[in-house]
Amino acid sequence: MPRVNTVLGPIPTEELGLVAVHEHIGYGMPGSELDTRWWKTPEERYDETVPKLRQFHEYGGGTFVDATGICNGRDVNYYQSLSEKTGVHIVASTGFVGGDTALPFFARATVDYLAAHFTHEITVGIGNTGGKAGIIKVGVSRGGRMTDLDKRIYRAAARAALATGVPVLTHLAIDAENAIAIFTEEGLPLDRVLFGHVDDGVNADKTRDTWIADQGGRIGFDTFGYETELPDPPFWARPRKERLEHFLRFIGEGRLHQVLASADANCSPLGWPGVEGHTVNYIFEDLIPDLRAAGLDEAAIRTIFVDNPASFLSIAN
Amino acid sequence: MNGNPPAEGPTVNTVLGPVPASELGVISVHEALLSVVPGAEHAFDVTIDRAEIFEALAAKLRDFRGHGGGTIVDSTGMFHGRDVRLLEALSRATGVHIVASTGMGPEELLGGYFLTPQTNPPTPWPAEKFADLFGKEVTEGMVVPRVERRGAAGLVTTTATREGMTATDESLFRGAAHAAVSTGVPVSIRFGADAVHDLEIVLDEGLPAGRVVVGGLDRTDAYAAGWPLAVARRGAYVALDHVGTEGDGHVSDAERAALVAELVESGHGDRVLLSIGTPGVSKGEPTRDLTPEQPWSHLLTTFVPLLKTRGLSDEDVQRIVVDNPRDLLTVGPHAAHEQEVA
Repeated sequence: MPRVNTVLGPIPTEELGLVAVHEHIGYGMPGSELDTRWWKTPEERYDETVPKLRQFHEYGGGTFVDATGICNGRDVNYYQSLSEKTGVHIVASTGFVGGDTALPFFARATVDYLAAHFTHEITVGIGNTGGKAGIIKVGVSRGGRMTDLDKRIYRAAARAALATGVPVLTHLAIDAENAIAIFTEEGLPLDRVLFGHVDDGVNADKTRDTWIADQGGRIGFDTFGYETELPDPPFWARPRKERLEHFLRFIGEGRLHQVLASADANCSPLGWPGVEGHTVNYIFEDLIPDLRAAGLDEAAIRTIFVDNPASFLSIAN
Repeated sequence: MNGNPPAEGPTVNTVLGPVPASELGVISVHEALLSVVPGAEHAFDVTIDRAEIFEALAAKLRDFRGHGGGTIVDSTGMFHGRDVRLLEALSRATGVHIVASTGMGPEELLGGYFLTPQTNPPTPWPAEKFADLFGKEVTEGMVVPRVERRGAAGLVTTTATREGMTATDESLFRGAAHAAVSTGVPVSIRFGADAVHDLEIVLDEGLPAGRVVVGGLDRTDAYAAGWPLAVARRGAYVALDHVGTEGDGHVSDAERAALVAELVESGHGDRVLLSIGTPGVSKGEPTRDLTPEQPWSHLLTTFVPLLKTRGLSDEDVQRIVVDNPRDLLTVGPHAAHEQEVA
């Protein structure tokens, strides 16, 4: 039976419901934990996080995929308590947001070691939490090109994905030729890979989204809500209308079944200020209304937020 | 806060609070109690059993103390396995004074937060930000990440890349020097490709040479280049900090002892420091998983007798293993002229 690993154990794919496929409970660059300017008490962290997850649940959200990699503040027993208390399924990641977020122990590791580590987190568990990873995160380091370490991580992720049936989620889809070459060499079907952040304000112009889709990859429009209209937008923000039009144009070209959408928000950021007012609930409060207003029917919305993530996240075997 | 009565006179920051400098006894200045390669704590096949680690370290500390040792300086910095509560418990249980360090380096061992921050472009941290980060670990306490600050760091430690100091290494060195100038604790540097060059970087920030210890001067390249003497002449402390290690790019104990004798004979006996540099417990470095049962007592049981065969007097030895490290670790203010008078 199709199933997905959540932090509280495997669930049937039918139970996923509406999925926010690229989100963060809390993200921080490795080392940010040493800088007290970002510290929050546990009370503050729960206080910033629980209402957002409860609201997500009340809106009809089913599953929150946490795309926070190893060394970025991933905190699985915290996610377990949040999931248990709010009723939101939480899927945790193994892997890294990018080579530049992998600490030296992993930066020095071989592809075989990295693959063994990812596989362990998927099949045995993460640390001593018992929670298993349901997705493998990989990504492109700052600078626009895949580094050697990025490539080792992509290759290890492909091997772990093949060994376990868990899919791969990328941070950035720039330099996709290199990524696809690695996945192809390793024999990983590209519908097991979600190429994320094709829509962000810095990289959208440099990302070959239609080419990746033509190769068979899944495409993530997953920074919805990081808008230049915000009072204090981050550098990757983009005009709201421009992103929406990009998305509508893309699915209008017959690619509805290849897209996933998400907000990439932090419930309670760990090592950066975060973006005031931007939450996972942008999906319900802004994005779905915008899509309806643009003429998408309920079946199309269900395809984007329920059916596509279900087929992507289901462990393939 | 730390159970010790307020100390009178010159003090040293230990994990249990300030301790009178005169109480430290024999000091090993460049040690690692628990050493964890950054990230290894997340690895599926690395077990970090704190009770087991405590037991192993306590046995090694008791062995050190049993052979006359008084103080161990954990110079791993803030991001290589430092566990302040564990160090406190170890000090309490064994009676060995433990001085913990702040600082980081080289660049390769830093987290992405410092190298590729979430700014556009991702500019690495400048010296001033490192100075603030390290300085607060002395004035406000050492971080237990995202939980609390505890105790005061007793020194700032940093390391340059072996192939040569990178731009970020230089920021670390300058930041460490700033933190030392503003807080009065010393700086420990492990040089990269050129000991004298790397020393000059911290001195350029206005830190008196007597507030700096240069580690790794028993490396074969340092020995061949004559850097131990050059560093001593410049007024900084010379750490021969791999006592007991032979090969692996280091001179032998016999050569080390000869070097100490040479430094003493040339009038630099007040600038020599010794250390073993073998981690008590190491995680994430497969080749170092098996550490010796009695790493730190080797200094006193084996190396000091060797120094005496080289003609060092009891006073020379006392100066090297007690007085020099004590002076280095004593919290300032230290004006440049005071160092010369002392």
